[in-house]
Amino acid sequence: MALIVIPRSRFSDEIIKLGGTGLIKCYQCGSCTATCPMSEEYNISFRKTIKYIQLGLQDEVLTDLTPWLCYYCGECSESCPRQADPGEVMMATRRYLITKYDFTGLSRLMYLKRFGWLVAVFLLGGIAFLISWLLKGPIVLERTELGTFAPVDIVDTAGIAVFIILASILLVNIYRMFRFTVGSLKGIPLTKAFIEFVKIVPLHFLTQLRLAKCSFRRYWYIHLMIFYGYALAFILFVPLLRLTLSNKPFLLVDPLSIAGILSTILLIIGAAFMIKGRLERKTQVWKYSHHTDWMFITLLFLVTITGLLTGVFRTLNYPLPTYITFILHIVLVTPFLVLEVPFAKWSHLAYRPFALYFYRLNQLKEGTQLSSKR
Amino acid sequence: MSKPVLVIGGGIAGIQAALDLAEQGVEVYLVDKNPSIGGRMAQLDKTFPTLDCASCILTPKMASVLRYKNIKLLMCSEVQEVKGSAGNFTCKILKNPTYVDWDKCTGCGTCSDKCPQKVPDEFNLNLTTRKAIYIMFPQAVPRKAVIDAMHCLRLNPPPDLKEKAKGRPLCGVCERICPAKAIDFTQIPKVIELNVAAIIVTTGIELYDPRKIPEYGYGKFQNVYTHLEFERLVSATGPTNGHIIRRSDNKTPKKIAWIQCVGSRDVRFNHYCSTFCCMAATKQAILAKEHIPDVETTIFYMDIRAFGKGFHEFYKRAMDEFGVKYVRGKVVKINEDPKTKNLILTYEDTSVSYVKKDVFDMVVLSVAIRPNRVVPPLPLELDDDGFIKLKDPFLDPVSTTVDGIFVAGVAAGAKDIPDSVSEASAAAMRAALIAKGIEVPLMTAISFRGGKP
Repeated sequence: MALIVIPRSRFSDEIIKLGGTGLIKCYQCGSCTATCPMSEEYNISFRKTIKYIQLGLQDEVLTDLTPWLCYYCGECSESCPRQADPGEVMMATRRYLITKYDFTGLSRLMYLKRFGWLVAVFLLGGIAFLISWLLKGPIVLERTELGTFAPVDIVDTAGIAVFIILASILLVNIYRMFRFTVGSLKGIPLTKAFIEFVKIVPLHFLTQLRLAKCSFRRYWYIHLMIFYGYALAFILFVPLLRLTLSNKPFLLVDPLSIAGILSTILLIIGAAFMIKGRLERKTQVWKYSHHTDWMFITLLFLVTITGLLTGVFRTLNYPLPTYITFILHIVLVTPFLVLEVPFAKWSHLAYRPFALYFYRLNQLKEGTQLSSKR
Repeated sequence: MSKPVLVIGGGIAGIQAALDLAEQGVEVYLVDKNPSIGGRMAQLDKTFPTLDCASCILTPKMASVLRYKNIKLLMCSEVQEVKGSAGNFTCKILKNPTYVDWDKCTGCGTCSDKCPQKVPDEFNLNLTTRKAIYIMFPQAVPRKAVIDAMHCLRLNPPPDLKEKAKGRPLCGVCERICPAKAIDFTQIPKVIELNVAAIIVTTGIELYDPRKIPEYGYGKFQNVYTHLEFERLVSATGPTNGHIIRRSDNKTPKKIAWIQCVGSRDVRFNHYCSTFCCMAATKQAILAKEHIPDVETTIFYMDIRAFGKGFHEFYKRAMDEFGVKYVRGKVVKINEDPKTKNLILTYEDTSVSYVKKDVFDMVVLSVAIRPNRVVPPLPLELDDDGFIKLKDPFLDPVSTTVDGIFVAGVAAGAKDIPDSVSEASAAAMRAALIAKGIEVPLMTAISFRGGKP
């Protein structure tokens, strides 16, 4: 295949716009690859990916899993003799890849248009408000009856419907990622592919183990906090919604309440650390924030806060504040989930373990073993 | 009648400038802070791209400096103050005491043979020791002994010995042994005032301290050297008489690595290119091959800048004729094997795009250069990197921002020996014009048709 080289193409400009400003400074020494803790285990070259971008080789980048194997510990950016911030270039490339894996084009709008996401948030929030206002039950002011105000059947159905839609979009996006990076399963026995899936994806999804390789350990803990806080909240409010959204008074000894409190604490602390880090800009990973990073973390924080307030008001038996914060929670949680899960930053939770899996598939195809044996 | 010119720095550029001025009948004061002229080039073994012996081409020039009556050498001296303007500079020069009467000293070296005090040898980059009274190096010009007052038992006795001596003068072996009776412990610093027409600055460079780059472990790992240290190591006059042996176990290395751009072309340290290291490393790899025929030599580089005449051919020759290996990729870390003291280098081999780890017996760092400090005492402007700022880097590359002060060699920016020498000649010519006060009558206008313009 002939390569068409377009230096400073629209493609590389896009990466620069997505945060990879150091791109043009790189003189291809390979320090980033050599310092990366991941390169001990994976046969990757960040330098090569950066070269692809510099040359405008869009297809090469699209089929490349390397950006996903960067967990952004920031060691490369510290050792870069050109201060080209290779870590941030990889971050920008991941943003770019998210926009490319997404087939709807919504992701592209949010990542490249600074106010695109703001419009989307307000639009979706407004729709959520209208729907929840139209479908709300009678407002009981004598005591807090959240189950009456928000009819469980409707909320449950809506929740599951949204979940199915979002999961389907995300799955399509993951399939597109598979098509780009692996192509097909040709040459790999299906059972082998399945065994590898079971071995890799759940483990890395649940533990995010690769992050532990970064010397900056706190980053991993924060990720785990947010992940488990989020997972708990998901279990409580999607499969167990009928138990959690009821008119029963809120009891602290109830295991569901304890789970709810735990989830809230994990999410708030995790998000607070992220926000603090991004404001301080001291650590390499948080030095540069794209507007989508802020969008994710602020929405997550606000969703958690409104969820917490709803719980508090419900426990204290303040009917009206409970209903208001609940509506507010729905207004925030809808854009958060709809936009983040398949289209924006949240999706890296899915892409990351799958990238490790796809990397393994490619290895199986080439018949090579893990490069750590080298 | 011409006025004198002051040349600051007795390296190859300073020597060339002084010689060219002297040839034109201009009186020259050549100032150097060291006891001998020769500068950095005197420390080199061979030169690229011809592999000439550096001493063999430098020493005749150094010696001829002595033959000119109108070159006055001011050794162990430093410029303290410069005032005035082109044609009339007043310079104060601090002449440090040598504690040896150079009019009497014959340079026989008996004193340094007998001196009991061993001191790290700066000329050999502390790879070996010299005595407290010493001749800087065998080919030193002028070949005179000096006493290092800091380390001399008589001049700076250690407190415990001083107490024991109870006021009696200590040691004094050199004073007793000197056949010419040249030792004079009573010398004191002197300030000389000179009136000169022009000044040529050839103050040269020092090496960037590689300890500031902890990843390479220089100073911590014994078998990591700078390129200048390696140059002393291969030199026949060096600490090992030209044998390449490791600091840790005196064994001959079988695998040597050169790491290029250490502290240069790196925005964290110095962003500029030191220009000569590509060729210097190539030369050193060839020298290593000549000294140890079965040695494996690898040069880690980002770009090979073989831009000068014969440079590219030299680089090709290193590869094809001598089998020097070139690997494109920056070494990010050196680890030491604590048992064997071998060095493990981590880098991305960019030709295959993956990370490799390789073990070497010896590592040579091509360390960046830093300009020596000249401001103050000189009233010059410096550029962003600390090199002397040029008036016009294109058409007037030897003039500084001050009229009558010229610059040559690496003080104005990284360059190799031939460029330094040609700059020195150019600067000498400019200085001579001022020193001689020559005014050439100019035609006011030219008409090509013979009529009035």
